Amino acid sequence: MAVGPATLARPAPVEGRPVTLRGLLEREGVFSWLMLAPGVLFLLAFVAYPFFYGIFLSLQDRRVASEGVFVGLANFRTLVRDAVFWQVTGNTLKYVAITTVLKLTGGLAMALVVNQRFRGRNLVRAALLLPFIVPTALSTVAWMWILDPTFSVVNWLLVHGGLISSGYSWLGNASLAMWSLIVVNTWRGMPFYGITLLAGLQTISPDLYEAASIDGASTVQRFLYVTLPVIKPVLIIVTMFSVIFTFGDFQLIYALTHGGPANATHVFSTWSFDIGMSAGLLGMGAAVALAILPALVVLAGMIGDAGGPARPSGAGGPAQAPRRQIQ
Amino acid sequence: MTTRREFLNLSLVATGAALAPSLAAAGGKATTKSLTTVRESSFIKAFDDFFVKTLAPEYEKLTGIKVGYEAVSVGGMLTRLTTMAETKSGPEITGTGLNWPFLFDNALADVSDVAGEVGKKLGGWHEIVQDVVVVNKKWKAVPWGNIGQLEVYRTDWFKEVGVTKFPDTWEDLLAAGRLLKKKGHPFGFEIGHGFGDNHGWMYPLLWSYGGREVDRDGKTVLIDSSETAKAVDFCRKFYQETMFEDVLGWTDVNNNKAFLGEQISCTNNASSILVVAKRDFPEIAKVTDHALNPQGPKGRYHLLNAQSLALLSYAPDQAAAKAFLRWLYDDKQLSRWLAAGDAYYAPFLHSYDNHPMWQPEPRYMPFKESLKTSRPHTWPGPQGTAASESVAKYVLVDMFAKACRGDSTKDVIATAASQLKQIYKAK
Repeated sequence: MAVGPATLARPAPVEGRPVTLRGLLEREGVFSWLMLAPGVLFLLAFVAYPFFYGIFLSLQDRRVASEGVFVGLANFRTLVRDAVFWQVTGNTLKYVAITTVLKLTGGLAMALVVNQRFRGRNLVRAALLLPFIVPTALSTVAWMWILDPTFSVVNWLLVHGGLISSGYSWLGNASLAMWSLIVVNTWRGMPFYGITLLAGLQTISPDLYEAASIDGASTVQRFLYVTLPVIKPVLIIVTMFSVIFTFGDFQLIYALTHGGPANATHVFSTWSFDIGMSAGLLGMGAAVALAILPALVVLAGMIGDAGGPARPSGAGGPAQAPRRQIQ
Repeated sequence: MTTRREFLNLSLVATGAALAPSLAAAGGKATTKSLTTVRESSFIKAFDDFFVKTLAPEYEKLTGIKVGYEAVSVGGMLTRLTTMAETKSGPEITGTGLNWPFLFDNALADVSDVAGEVGKKLGGWHEIVQDVVVVNKKWKAVPWGNIGQLEVYRTDWFKEVGVTKFPDTWEDLLAAGRLLKKKGHPFGFEIGHGFGDNHGWMYPLLWSYGGREVDRDGKTVLIDSSETAKAVDFCRKFYQETMFEDVLGWTDVNNNKAFLGEQISCTNNASSILVVAKRDFPEIAKVTDHALNPQGPKGRYHLLNAQSLALLSYAPDQAAAKAFLRWLYDDKQLSRWLAAGDAYYAPFLHSYDNHPMWQPEPRYMPFKESLKTSRPHTWPGPQGTAASESVAKYVLVDMFAKACRGDSTKDVIATAASQLKQIYKAK
């Protein structure tokens, strides 16, 4: 039997009766806010405060260990006149766009494969998750060796396989360095897509496929007209989250190339770190970090839209039901 | 089943218990029972060990003050110091390098008295070190030694091509490099975004051709000059004829790995390559040696990276912290500490110019000699935030890197000049 929240709630105190702590705690509204408080405080302290402090810093000429001077949008004006800023913007967009497409298609393929019944399926599912489970710092060190010109296993295979005569410079060549980072990011991020989309796939009723098959739908048609529409909300949300995470990717690039060669792989996060921490220009560093804000706001809006229809209709949704009952 | 009230009470008790120690500490009286020093962990483990296992216990025995030591991984010290300066909390004494005393001027206490006394007792300071630790006529850090960046090379392979003495000029080094590359032993100088081994040879190269980033006034950008163009042209040739493409993407670990992996015959580095070779690759160690940077038409230069200890101005008991610094920089302690460092740090005190620490391994001697011609990043420009910005933005490194990958000398210098004018707010 389902127990509704109303059974837990006590009636509101009768007028005239003294309000005791015990009575107050038994009130659903008070108790819910008390339970919410840690989470809200956490978000305020570690998300809202740094965010607004970042905006505050970006409007200042603020050197490390010094008082800031309000300069309005001067930091942003300096940035748009800096050729490296536009190079970094281009790098970031390229990095995010290509990795997203690769992770999306690869992750979807991965999910479709591991959704099939075959021997050792659980083992394969666990193995596919490995890149996501291994700490980035650790896996990046492994990639550092894989891409090293002397010790590169990739070069070794290509040379010994007779495909090339001498090894490529995976991190020394500007174009190859960006592609190398894209490959590593895709390798690490694909399981996130795979496992999330797998969860979406498993909610699809087999009846739908059966009905489509009876109607003569081919495999491709079943994918396009059954699978894709059902997992679309999950697909959109996972893509948006991944895009946001990729925009802020730092460890991988910092460890492998530190933005080099000649800024060819610098993205907002690594450049912002260099300016804020290494140069001690905290205001300018914050301005660089905030330069991605407009893009992220648009993405956040898209997430909201994608998530919207999935909620039950009605004002406030189920979360407000107990309060209505108390009232 | 736990009732709601029981759960709440439990949570409150747990939270209180968790906060109790920190509240007690916050309310406690500040007494100097202990001091903490934070430093980037030394490449020479014995150097750190000597501080922790010998010096700190000795000081505790003498004064009752416990001296803690916090080691920060290589490359992480600047971030740690930024956090300390911004939050005004943390260890009382910090390690500094490069131009950090200028960067953190407001957060560091004046230690002119300590530096003055130490200098007086130990033969005086090398003049050049004052460029990076004396801010507005106040010593903001007390140096102990320089981490030099010199030429590290394979003596056996150089001999194979008939070079028995390390080339004295950049042009002669280029000539040797051509021969060595043909023999399958290319050079490997970092041209990527590391934090030491790139600037370690690029600033000296620029200076030795007469090029400068900015003038002493910090307002006149000097990079656009025929001297810079000559250095850029040389660098392109040096890269194309002696190295391979990967060096463009190298960070500081790569040249060490390549040298110890017997991939390259020469690089610019601290003595860490030889230190590791002696420990792990004795055969390579036997054929590894150091040399001063080659000279160009306008002289020979090296990069200064003065390692020092500074006192944070937020430290509650400045006198106690200074007393510790005085004790540490007394010859009885400092001499033994430097000796434990296996000559990795070249001291800035003239009393140590002929210190016994230099005797066991003559191959470290060039690091001592290099002090005379060492200059800080962006020299002769002032050592402030603009200098840090130029370094953090890799203006010089990328100027050379772009030339190496094929961009024209004129274009790379114009880009660097434009960046430097923005950084130094010059017209």
